[in-house]
Amino acid sequence: MKLKAKPSYEQKKARWGWIFVSPGIVFFSIFSFFPILNAFWTSLLNKKLVSLKKANFVGLTNYIKILTNYDFWNSMKATLVFTVGCFIPLVIIGLVLAIFIHSRKRFNRSLQLVYYSPAVLSSVVAALIWFLMLQPTGLLNQTLNTLFSTSGVDYKWLASGPMVRLSTIIVYFWKYIGYFAILYITGIGKIPTAIYEAATIDGANGWNQFKLITIPLLKPTTLMVSIMAMIQCLKTFSTQYLFTQSGAPSAPINVITLNIYNTAMRDNNLSRASVMSVILFLIMLLLTIVQFKTSKSDDVSF
Amino acid sequence: MKKMMFVLMLCIIASPLVLFAAGTKDAKATGPIELTIWTHEDVNRKAIEEKYIKEFEAQNPNIKVKYVVYPSTEIHKVIQAGFAAKNGPDIFNLEIQKAYPFLAEGFVAPVDLASAGYKSHNEILNSYMAGMLDPVTVDGKVYGLPLELTNWAIYLNKKIFRDAGLDANKDYPKTWEEVMTVSEKIVKRDGSIITRRGFDFRYGDYLISWLPMVEQLGGKLISDDGKTAIVNKDAWVKVLQYMADFGPNGKNLGSPTYTAARKVFDNDNNEIAMHLSGLYQEQRMASANPDFFNSDDWMVIPYPTFAGGKQVPNTYYGHYYMVNSQVSKERQQAAWKLVSFMLSHGEEYLEKVALVQPTNTLFNSATFKNMPFSKVFKDELEIAPVVYYGEASQQINDLIKEAIESVMLNKVAPARAVDTLQTKVQEVLDN
Repeated sequence: MKLKAKPSYEQKKARWGWIFVSPGIVFFSIFSFFPILNAFWTSLLNKKLVSLKKANFVGLTNYIKILTNYDFWNSMKATLVFTVGCFIPLVIIGLVLAIFIHSRKRFNRSLQLVYYSPAVLSSVVAALIWFLMLQPTGLLNQTLNTLFSTSGVDYKWLASGPMVRLSTIIVYFWKYIGYFAILYITGIGKIPTAIYEAATIDGANGWNQFKLITIPLLKPTTLMVSIMAMIQCLKTFSTQYLFTQSGAPSAPINVITLNIYNTAMRDNNLSRASVMSVILFLIMLLLTIVQFKTSKSDDVSF
Repeated sequence: MKKMMFVLMLCIIASPLVLFAAGTKDAKATGPIELTIWTHEDVNRKAIEEKYIKEFEAQNPNIKVKYVVYPSTEIHKVIQAGFAAKNGPDIFNLEIQKAYPFLAEGFVAPVDLASAGYKSHNEILNSYMAGMLDPVTVDGKVYGLPLELTNWAIYLNKKIFRDAGLDANKDYPKTWEEVMTVSEKIVKRDGSIITRRGFDFRYGDYLISWLPMVEQLGGKLISDDGKTAIVNKDAWVKVLQYMADFGPNGKNLGSPTYTAARKVFDNDNNEIAMHLSGLYQEQRMASANPDFFNSDDWMVIPYPTFAGGKQVPNTYYGHYYMVNSQVSKERQQAAWKLVSFMLSHGEEYLEKVALVQPTNTLFNSATFKNMPFSKVFKDELEIAPVVYYGEASQQINDLIKEAIESVMLNKVAPARAVDTLQTKVQEVLDN
């Protein structure tokens, strides 16, 4: 009779490892993995959102229709304009703000709290607040007219294509600048003070320390912030949705997520919405791969 | 060990497939039936319908009713999401152009005659004014009972007219050209920011309130054979040009980006002189601003016509109570019984909420006749066309919205906007 071998320490460790990660895997499977697979499969069918009829397999027809559709490319353009217009200020001003907050001896924590607070606000509420301020009779026109000593200039925040694009960027920037600044502050906090002390002894001034120590050693954080900001911007939805529902022109801010929503909910075409979701997923996946690849080659150790 | 873990992982990953594949089925009733109604917000209607439900529950102890109210702008999406998730309400109501796709897709059950208290579908049809149930009648079967039939006319604030040196009774606009000139006299601005509007459109509901303008000039959304989109492009171009002239880049008389006209009119705060709404607005005005409602400072005038154009009034649309075909027969019967019970209070709906069920009795009742300016609505209704409804009506409405916004806000030439609109609506038709 063959005796069953006792599991080794490594095997026991591995088993417990699986037990601990399984809740996460279940959660991921239900809320991420299944919808991804389902969206991919749906993109190959002619499925309506609300229908009792059985969907048929149509292969890549939906992909061809979407890739030759003007609205899709307009959405790609709107998404690109928003993403570039938003993530560059988020990354640069986020860093400047982080350095400013970090350098404060007093009120450091309070400032972090103040700047971070919009991030915890619901996106819909944030969009609604800004919508009221951006109306022709709203606070923003009033403030600018007071500042520039003008009377009744309507900046058309919601009424002209370029301005409505700018308005959505402003809302998003306001909401997330604190969040990314906090990430930078964490990164700055990890840089050993000994390096700055050595640089001070060597006669480096503040600007040189920033340029030659802070910026290079913050590279991984900057990379993470830029990729996260970019992915976050690609997923923007609430502001554009609320603005277009409230009378703003849809074409300039018809970002891909809004197009996905309208294609599914308004046009009842779940399959074409899924095609766009798959494309958006692939774009984000590509960016994540870039993040992983670049962050490995740029790893900084102190 | 590795194999076991692989199988375990596969099971975990596949578990949602099994979970979701099962879907949500209508559970067999084991106790009292709990019906759900999803409807749009209306404070006055909510009050009386909750009262009817209490009475109904007392008469039918085995039926409980959950009455859920959603904002008017969201209800359509909520119902759509509900049906998509196989978890739609037992009873719902929407404007016909939004409800029709559910009917076309088979999600609506025909009226259960016995439960609703009718002997035949013909009897239902004969209970209402001719043609009023056409949008919900398929192969002789009726699929919805009307809660209200609505057409819009223009509410006018006489005080603002007086303030602008106009006599509302004489100077009220009869044509769209006059709407523009009267609005120019009334409008007040701080620089280019409008602080008082003459008239403003009901942006968003273009099939109901804007398409008739095109029809007045001989245009059509879809050809009679149902194959061609945007008939008589000249008419479309003219009306879009009118919108461009009206908007912020033209004479700057109004814009979709200002607070919706109907939301500020009732305040009587010198913000807007004219807006489009239905008879139901009277009860809302009475609740929001009773002093203004009871004053002689407002009136209702007919929907204008373009000079030399055909007389096409604002379209009418119906809100029909419908029952989910995907629930058990037992629930459908209970649902129709409740709908029929609620709708049997037509006079009270009219009196308390200003909602008119399209029956001859109600239209000829003293309650209707005594409502201020009800004759304007009735006269318009007699010649009004029904709103366009089809499987893609909401999509087409939004494409028109896009065209209007493009000329009003983005300075797109009307002819170009019509070309784009035609291409897109044609694509919808072809699909």
